[in-house]
Amino acid sequence: MDEMIICRCEEIPLKTIRKTVQEGACTIREVKLQTRAGMGICQGRTCRPLVEKLLPSEKEQAAVYQISGYRLPVRPLLLQDFFKE
Amino acid sequence: MQNDLIIIGAGPAGLSAAIQAASYGAKVTVVDETPYPGGKLLGQLYEEPKKGMWIGGEIAKKLYSQAVDLGVTFLFEREVWSIFPTWKVSLNNHQDLRAPNVLLATGAAERPIPIPGWTIPGVMAVGAAQVLCNLQRVRPGKRVLIVGVDILSLTIARELQWAGVDVVGMVLPPPSPFSGQKADPRFHLAALSNMSHLAPSPILRMAGNLAKAVPVNQAARFYPRKGVKIWDIPLMLRKAAIEIQGRDEVERVILADVTVEGEILNHQTQSIEVDCVCISGGLYPLAELAALAGCPFVNLPELGGQIPLHSAQLETLLPGLYVAGNITGIEGAKVAMAQGELAALSIIGRLQNNLEKMAPLIEEAMQKVKRVREEASISFHPEIVLGRRKMQALWEETLTSQSAQ
Ligand SMILES: Cc1cc2nc3c(=O)[nH]c(=O)nc-3n(C[C@H](O)[C@H](O)[C@H](O)COP(=O)(O)OP(=O)(O)OC[C@H]3O[C@@H](n4cnc5c(N)ncnc54)[C@H](O)[C@@H]3O)c2cc1C
Repeated sequence: MDEMIICRCEEIPLKTIRKTVQEGACTIREVKLQTRAGMGICQGRTCRPLVEKLLPSEKEQAAVYQISGYRLPVRPLLLQDFFKE
Repeated sequence: MQNDLIIIGAGPAGLSAAIQAASYGAKVTVVDETPYPGGKLLGQLYEEPKKGMWIGGEIAKKLYSQAVDLGVTFLFEREVWSIFPTWKVSLNNHQDLRAPNVLLATGAAERPIPIPGWTIPGVMAVGAAQVLCNLQRVRPGKRVLIVGVDILSLTIARELQWAGVDVVGMVLPPPSPFSGQKADPRFHLAALSNMSHLAPSPILRMAGNLAKAVPVNQAARFYPRKGVKIWDIPLMLRKAAIEIQGRDEVERVILADVTVEGEILNHQTQSIEVDCVCISGGLYPLAELAALAGCPFVNLPELGGQIPLHSAQLETLLPGLYVAGNITGIEGAKVAMAQGELAALSIIGRLQNNLEKMAPLIEEAMQKVKRVREEASISFHPEIVLGRRKMQALWEETLTSQSAQ
């Protein structure tokens, strides 16, 4: 199980994410910055729900909150579309 | 041309909303990243009890031509990469659209369940198999094993079989932080008892009734190891796929017997030869654009996960931003359509600056959503109604605390 890939875009195995969480990462963003999980072409559409399951506490239920860890662009984009004149 | 409304997503929710809004004279543009209208409707093909065949592709065609006749503009193969209040919608072709109202009808994505070997070519999500098979007309494999038992994978197993694929069986995923209840035979027997009115095989119906009559862990104990056949496909609730193997592509899967609780019995394994594995982990609302816009979220497992906070009229807290369809919670296509109509009426009320005049129509549309939900033959989450109620309570609480400030 430990060698199993979790973030397919960046090829990050389960053991790397577990280690990061053990060392204190508590949010999607922290895991992302430490391991690159969720920074690939799909921007976490596949691995985000998985990494959430590995975090110390899932989002508390029945509360309203600002969700973190989403960045534009949410789809792969040519730089020319981003920096248009 | 100035848009009144931009709809992101041309699935059943987006298409129904477009028709409704355009019928009130609104200028509507619909954007979708795929080449075709219909969203997830396009793969849907199954028999409904007492109602006959549900052919999603035909419904999509009908909705699309209705919308086109009403003057709705469609942009296909355009990815929305961000939205900015209030409101600019940015597309991947150098183009920005502007409108006072945006409807997010972006649907759902599949929740993966990783198991060792899941990155080998030939392993796919069950929804990908559905699209390959029913839309692209390509069989995903000759001999297919399905991992994960739920209403979606049962439906797709049947569709694959209709396409001439040999579906060799359906098994559970192994226990892990990712599979949760989906690895527990007791959970499945309880779920099957809720679906037993849909169950095609008398034995499955019996299993369902058994689970209703006796405690589920007893029913799970009596569940035969080699499975119960449903449309000739062994439904093996006492076996889990612990590893997928193959050099360049899928060659075989290692199955292990599991206890009543779903724990792996390592000494009781077998290997099964297949060229394709479909994994079903359920759906979650695709709400990334709402997150970028700064919408507050709530986490309601009854609705499928993290969802933008919204009212029963489908407005969000951000002025002019609305949601409809699976982004509000995982339900079937008919509910998505009714929600699309409702969201459009809310938007028309805002556009005409006359919510009062629209109120009776909005109320009627809300009742319709409820009715369609009650009559739905497919329900992805048994507690959907509870989830909807919680959402409404959180919405009201938030409004109250905001007005107090
Ligand atoms: C694989 C699968 C199978 C299903 N099978 C059934 C079934 O058999 N029966 C049933 O009743 N329900 C089924 N469902 C549930 C299904 O989601 C609903 O039936 C219904 O299609 C939801 O409608 P929707 O309009 O909310 O979303 P969808 O139909 O998913 O449409 C959303 C659309 O938004 C587009 N989109 C999303 N993000 C962007 C973006 N950033 N830019 C541009 N376009 C975007 C997508 O391309 C898509 O076309 C299934 C769902 C899935 C995922």
